Amino acid sequence: MAAVAGGAPPEAAAGALPDWFAAKKRRTRPNLIVHRWVPIALVGAPVLVLFGIVVYPTVWMFYHAFQNTNMMRLFRGNWSFVGWENFHAVLTSERFWDSVQHLAQYLVFGACLQVALAAVLALTLYEVVRRDWVRVVVLIVLVLPMMLPPSIVGVLWKFLLTPSNGAINAALLHLGLIDEHIEWFNAGMSLWSIIIADVWNWTALPLLIIYSGRVSLPPAVYEAARVDGASGWLVLRRITLPMLKEVIAIAFIIRFMDAFKFVDLVYVMTSGGPAQSSELPTYIAFQRGIREFEVSEAAAYAIIIFAFSAILITLFLRYLKKVLKAQGIA
Amino acid sequence: MGELRVEGLCKGWDFPVLDRLDFTVAEGEFFVVVGPSGIGKTTLLRLIAGLERPDAGRVLVGGRDITGLPPYRRNVAMTFESYALYPHLSVFENIASPLRARKIARAEIGAAVRQAAAMLRIDELLERRPGEISGGQKQRTALARTLVARPEVYLLDEPISHLDARIRHELRQQFHGLEELRRVATLYVTHDYAEALSLADRIGVMGAGGLVQVGAARDIFERPASLFVAQHLGQPSINVVEAELHQTGGDGAVHWAATGAAGAAGGKGLTLPVADAHRAALSNLGTATVMLGIRPQFVSVLGNAESAAARTGDGSCTDVAARDGRGTAGGGLPVIDATVELYEPLGATGVLIADAGGVPLTATTDPDRTFHYGERVKLRLRPETVLYFDARSGANLVD
Repeated sequence: MAAVAGGAPPEAAAGALPDWFAAKKRRTRPNLIVHRWVPIALVGAPVLVLFGIVVYPTVWMFYHAFQNTNMMRLFRGNWSFVGWENFHAVLTSERFWDSVQHLAQYLVFGACLQVALAAVLALTLYEVVRRDWVRVVVLIVLVLPMMLPPSIVGVLWKFLLTPSNGAINAALLHLGLIDEHIEWFNAGMSLWSIIIADVWNWTALPLLIIYSGRVSLPPAVYEAARVDGASGWLVLRRITLPMLKEVIAIAFIIRFMDAFKFVDLVYVMTSGGPAQSSELPTYIAFQRGIREFEVSEAAAYAIIIFAFSAILITLFLRYLKKVLKAQGIA
Repeated sequence: MGELRVEGLCKGWDFPVLDRLDFTVAEGEFFVVVGPSGIGKTTLLRLIAGLERPDAGRVLVGGRDITGLPPYRRNVAMTFESYALYPHLSVFENIASPLRARKIARAEIGAAVRQAAAMLRIDELLERRPGEISGGQKQRTALARTLVARPEVYLLDEPISHLDARIRHELRQQFHGLEELRRVATLYVTHDYAEALSLADRIGVMGAGGLVQVGAARDIFERPASLFVAQHLGQPSINVVEAELHQTGGDGAVHWAATGAAGAAGGKGLTLPVADAHRAALSNLGTATVMLGIRPQFVSVLGNAESAAARTGDGSCTDVAARDGRGTAGGGLPVIDATVELYEPLGATGVLIADAGGVPLTATTDPDRTFHYGERVKLRLRPETVLYFDARSGANLVD
């Protein structure tokens, strides 16, 4: 027995169990490289990378938001502190408040409409279509637009909506719904065109989220409702929608966050035009910072957008937490 | 109001589940279907509730054919094995949901819910959500939801089987007190024979394809139609012994000898006489192989004094049976020598498994005695309690 333990104390040999922990006790000095430096390296490398691509640029942005930096001053290194002037300029400019209006229009008719449309589509697909393969085919078709890169989607819809010979106008004329071409890209319509393209592009995301939420609801509850005699409308109102509340809220948050960084379709389809009539705040920040090198003004835009979305998302998360807590989940 | 009647009901998927099922539950009757898991009990309830469509057959309530009707037009109420409570609604709203679906006035709903809740003693919990109450409370909520509907037929699917033993017993007693369930036809499904024996006016034992035996609790327990029924009811499970019948002597006496185990285990075998009451039914079988069913509670372990008094020749019952033709000894009943294999003290009773000449026999014992492995004991059987089943079909040969 002593041989097994490899140098166990002699009293262990006399019929007692071997000291199984002897081997562990004997090793007093751990391997420093393995136990100390490897963990530090493993954690440290990503921290460094994150610092380089997230923390440093953010700090840089906050710093320059209070300077009068543009490209020339940046090269010469002679920028100077101007305090809240950039913020003041942004918040008093008509261009910014116009873009906020556009954002509101996009949030209501883009994000909200998408989630509502997605909920209708998802629940219809689940409740009405009974064959599994039909469901799968419909889902795939609905999800396809999401797979396309935004630049392609933008170009595609620009073609479709071309006023003189685009497919949409041609179809509407042919069906007799309109008498003359709709000018999709004039000042009144351009933002609507972007929203149409975006709905086509992104509705599938909330749809997938809500559909999977519906699939995971317990079937027994629905059977109980059927035996209770609840009508389809009552089941939807009293059971399905309340039980999907959190899922819909999550789909909404995701589309909401996307709305605040939405820039690609604007850039490809209208470049904010005509006459800045389809600009969103993010697009202005991009335009001012990357194309016109007004670094400080762009930084101020970015910070304002960030504050805006942070407040809204916080309110959302607080609501979601309340809902989950009421159900005893969180 | 009226009886629930099932006629020739068939249902199957890739395999048959119910095959031409017929039964009737009278108005006011509490009918319990008991059977092993996966045999189709829940399917039966779902067919009656209208959640599944039968392949053939009819379901009638009070003479009205409801086979083709959607669930909500059948006027049945069902509790689900998983309770199926609405997680986002309070206990009150859960109970109220069948009434809400019927657009009943608010005040009436409140009164009905409170009455049902008070009856099941969950009136303290009405504001809570299902996530915040215990399993037993959830079950009572589901039951209250069923009760407020005041249907023509109650369908209860394993309502208390998943609760722990103490609460199960408590709820079982509550079921006895629910007069609402005695008002109309109630179909209660369970795999627990004790629930069935305790609650049922009549029991239907479900085997593959349908009901194997229907009858009063006592009937089914004492005169099971088949070995399957006998094995399914009773805890601990009935002893099943394969044996051969022999005619002994000229007076028409019959005795049986256990087969198989005796030779293989090197035991002395087990041989006992057949009771006079059973002799007529069994004597014309000649030398036949049968399955014996011996309920553990009818196997008694003799106390020390009784053991000493019992005269068992050289210790083997085989000799007793051979010697006086009736196999009686001591107090006039056959006594068997056995060796203790396992003893489980269960508090109120004990369960003893003993080897009797190569045949393992289970007996329930008094709680004040304990046994040890290898201990020699004397067992006494009452021949008139032994059940005889056909070795192949499992049918009861006597009743």
